[in-house]
Amino acid sequence: MKRITLALLLLVSIVKAQNKEIKPDSLDTVLDEVLIIAAKKAKIETDMKMAVSVDEFLASNANISFIKRGAYAWEPLLNNMSTERSTVTIDGMHIFGACTDKMDPVTAYVESNNLSDIDIKSGQEGSLHGATVAGSIDLKRKSTAFGLSKTWSGAYQSGIEFNNNQLFNLGNVAYSCDKLVAEGSVSYRKAENYSDGNNDDVNHSQFEKFNTSLGFAYKTSELSSLRVDAIFDKAKDVGYPALPMDLSLSRALITSVSYKQFFENSFVKVWDTKVYFNAVEHYMDDTTRPENLVHMDMPGWSTTYGLVSKVNVKKEQFSSEIQLNAYHNLSIAEMRMYPQDRSERTMFAYSWPWVTTRYAGLSLSNSWDISKRSQLNFGGSLGINYNYSKYAEFNWIFHPGAPQEKTRFLPNLYTSYLVNVDGFNFSVGGGYGHRAPSVSEGYGYYIYNSFDRYDYIGNPDLKNEISYEANASAGFKNKKGGLQAKVNYFYIQNYIIGRILSQGSPMNYQSVGVKGYTALDYATLFNFSMDAHYAVMDNLHWKGTLTYARGLDENKNNLPFIRPLSYQTSLHYSYKKLGVLTALNGDLKQHNYSPFYGEDETPSYTNWNLSIDYSFHIKNYKTVFQIGAENLFNEYYSTYADWGNIPRMGRNIFTSLKINL
Amino acid sequence: MKLLHCIVIAIFVAITSCTIEKTDYEAELNVETTEFITFEEVTSITTDNYTISIEALNGTLYKGYNEIHLKITNTATNENLEDAHVTFLPIFTDANGNKASCPHDYHLDYDETEGYYLGYSVFTSESDSTVNWTLYVDFEDNSELYAVNHPITVKEQTNLNLNMTAFTGHDDEQYFIALVAPQSPSVAQNDLVAGIYKYNKPANPAGTFPDLSQYSYSIVEGHTLLIDPRMPEPSMGNHSSPNNEDLTQETDGLYHGVVNYTMTGNWTLNFILKNESGDIIKGTEVSTEFTPGIDGEKGELHIDILF
Ligand SMILES: [Cu+2]
Repeated sequence: MKRITLALLLLVSIVKAQNKEIKPDSLDTVLDEVLIIAAKKAKIETDMKMAVSVDEFLASNANISFIKRGAYAWEPLLNNMSTERSTVTIDGMHIFGACTDKMDPVTAYVESNNLSDIDIKSGQEGSLHGATVAGSIDLKRKSTAFGLSKTWSGAYQSGIEFNNNQLFNLGNVAYSCDKLVAEGSVSYRKAENYSDGNNDDVNHSQFEKFNTSLGFAYKTSELSSLRVDAIFDKAKDVGYPALPMDLSLSRALITSVSYKQFFENSFVKVWDTKVYFNAVEHYMDDTTRPENLVHMDMPGWSTTYGLVSKVNVKKEQFSSEIQLNAYHNLSIAEMRMYPQDRSERTMFAYSWPWVTTRYAGLSLSNSWDISKRSQLNFGGSLGINYNYSKYAEFNWIFHPGAPQEKTRFLPNLYTSYLVNVDGFNFSVGGGYGHRAPSVSEGYGYYIYNSFDRYDYIGNPDLKNEISYEANASAGFKNKKGGLQAKVNYFYIQNYIIGRILSQGSPMNYQSVGVKGYTALDYATLFNFSMDAHYAVMDNLHWKGTLTYARGLDENKNNLPFIRPLSYQTSLHYSYKKLGVLTALNGDLKQHNYSPFYGEDETPSYTNWNLSIDYSFHIKNYKTVFQIGAENLFNEYYSTYADWGNIPRMGRNIFTSLKINL
Repeated sequence: MKLLHCIVIAIFVAITSCTIEKTDYEAELNVETTEFITFEEVTSITTDNYTISIEALNGTLYKGYNEIHLKITNTATNENLEDAHVTFLPIFTDANGNKASCPHDYHLDYDETEGYYLGYSVFTSESDSTVNWTLYVDFEDNSELYAVNHPITVKEQTNLNLNMTAFTGHDDEQYFIALVAPQSPSVAQNDLVAGIYKYNKPANPAGTFPDLSQYSYSIVEGHTLLIDPRMPEPSMGNHSSPNNEDLTQETDGLYHGVVNYTMTGNWTLNFILKNESGDIIKGTEVSTEFTPGIDGEKGELHIDILF
């Protein structure tokens, strides 16, 4: 602990600045560009709602779907693949949840008012941040530029969601001068149980979340800066109606120090290095569930530190980013079961037996403008992944003689070719990549999955999952509208999934058996999406999205959690300072469900949403007021990815007010 | 910057304070068990010029299996006696004066490298106000026979991992199974060691005390001890573990196998004892059903452990 304090103190005094692709050649423009990018308005809001949670914002992306275990901390699926297959980072920093039951995806530890953007890359293009199969989700932190004309800026947002009486207050403030930037944000949300389309309360769906962030940047010279960042997140009394347990407390501290150096008259444009540390603790609680036969304590901890160092290079038509990524993670999860006769001995085991993961990888992402109309992107990474299980004897119970430590090499490659002709655009691409099994897949021990009601056992000997990927897109755009279609196809070798084990017996009383993580020979996944938008009039816009996916295992059985045909369509009308949006979204009936993996058929549903916003000024401060309703028809439904078929929220009237200071 | 220091420290203190402590796993394993590895003197008997020293783990004799180290010293020459044809007989007397023995090694062999006579005794009950144990040791030096007896105390074995059971088999013979190792198991594959003994029924009525034919026990040879561990706790629903290996006899005379404990707590080791030809001497198969809320299965032959 002392060491960590020292490390943190050392961290005090630095930066990371926004790091988007830097195109201009002269340094001045480079810096200007950076300033502009950094100054870009934070826009974590959807067309429908201006005060959204991070989850709601992610949901507006066609590549993302969610497994929902309640009203809080949804697990994002990228390309219909669960979080093991994607890398989720905060400004390139790796962070891992501390819950064996996936109650805390990384996206639960940030808040919309400390993010500026979410960068989603599909498939191997996402390998820049580390080995992946599905792609990457990078949560970009807000970062104020130096020397803004407005020294002080800020925003305050407040609102109510009436369905679950969620009250939220989000505030952020930033100070900027030539040498120094300081910024911070605070947010607090508290919600009660939500009610479903039958107006019944969904018990255990309440939550309370507090999040705060701080950032300080100091310009160490004309061409360099230092930045320190910290996020603290605390969730309390969070209910998970789909799970047999709730969360009493979860806390995360996410810190980083970064140093950024620009270069003049050089093909190297910028070098950005960051060291980071984050610690997550997660305490589940079942005292709220007196119906449970067994009382259990299940605390979990995840601690990560790491380094990201990247260089952006540009010469004529060629630009590239070289990134070095290294991290160390320790994941611990305990379970202690209390016997019915409390005078008897408690029963203890590790569900994550102190599993260390170390990763170091070098990645490269290149872009070559072959001509004005065509571009070639290619890149890849090579990583070394090392795992160590301190209490390997837990793993040996099911896998006698399995190695206590394991080193894997994880290569990833991708390429894509883009053509742009007279408003039409086409692209084709391919990728190849490995990923290592996650902590649960490799070393998990009796992790209860309440979806299929099996206890899951990890296998340290699992092979790397190998993905072969092909993607293509075609689109057309003009002044009035546009149409874009995307497809991708994954052939995944050694696809990791739980299979019933003939040995062992359940440990959790709700469980019906034991499953082991096993590699299928292969599985295939196909994703299709189509986006269209059209300006009917100058102030009337239409938008529509259609997605379809199919996932099959080696025996042509359906994979679980694959989104059925889904649609989203919206119409936005603006008149002076008034905006009206109406949207329809839904899934068709889930035909291709997977009984083998615990799914049942989910019927179709449609949601109709409506929102109205009005902009005005309070003493020169731009203010927006919004009121709206989701699920206006109060439809009772649950989606294919609602854990245990828990019903979704019924009609929800929301209102919010945002003041830009 | 000072402010920042303070804030970072404050946040850090906030996150590291008042959280649930991580379990000290090594300590957790020793809550119910203590592992003894050193042999200490239990008692010493002096007769003529000889001192007989008896050693056992922790200097205590417990109910169940005890490895015995015995040394005889000639106090005149201060020499250790080797090859003294030492015999060892524990005798138990109940309140009515009935005498019996327990599984034991009668002829103790001398271990030259270690410098002691090696034996064992599986005490079948603890000493108390009505039950007492006496040790009869005979040895030979310079062709002269010496015989001594000495009261001993057998204490309760609080470590259930060294528990024992005595039963009458379907062949009407009297059997004893005593756990020898592990003393302190862990959530892991544990090498399980047990001694299996039987009482050799005398052909004739007892002669003058001590009539050896009345107190003869032997190691059961070449049998198999099938194992099925279960958790008795009702909420565990008859939970068991995979990859256990039945116990078979090895050259040390003891039976060795593997038991996996998937978590700490109470466990029942359900056994089936089979002879060389595969006939069941004792024990029943238990249900493998998962039955939440109902006590775990205990077969007709079982030993309860706890760690
Ligand atoms: Cu949890």
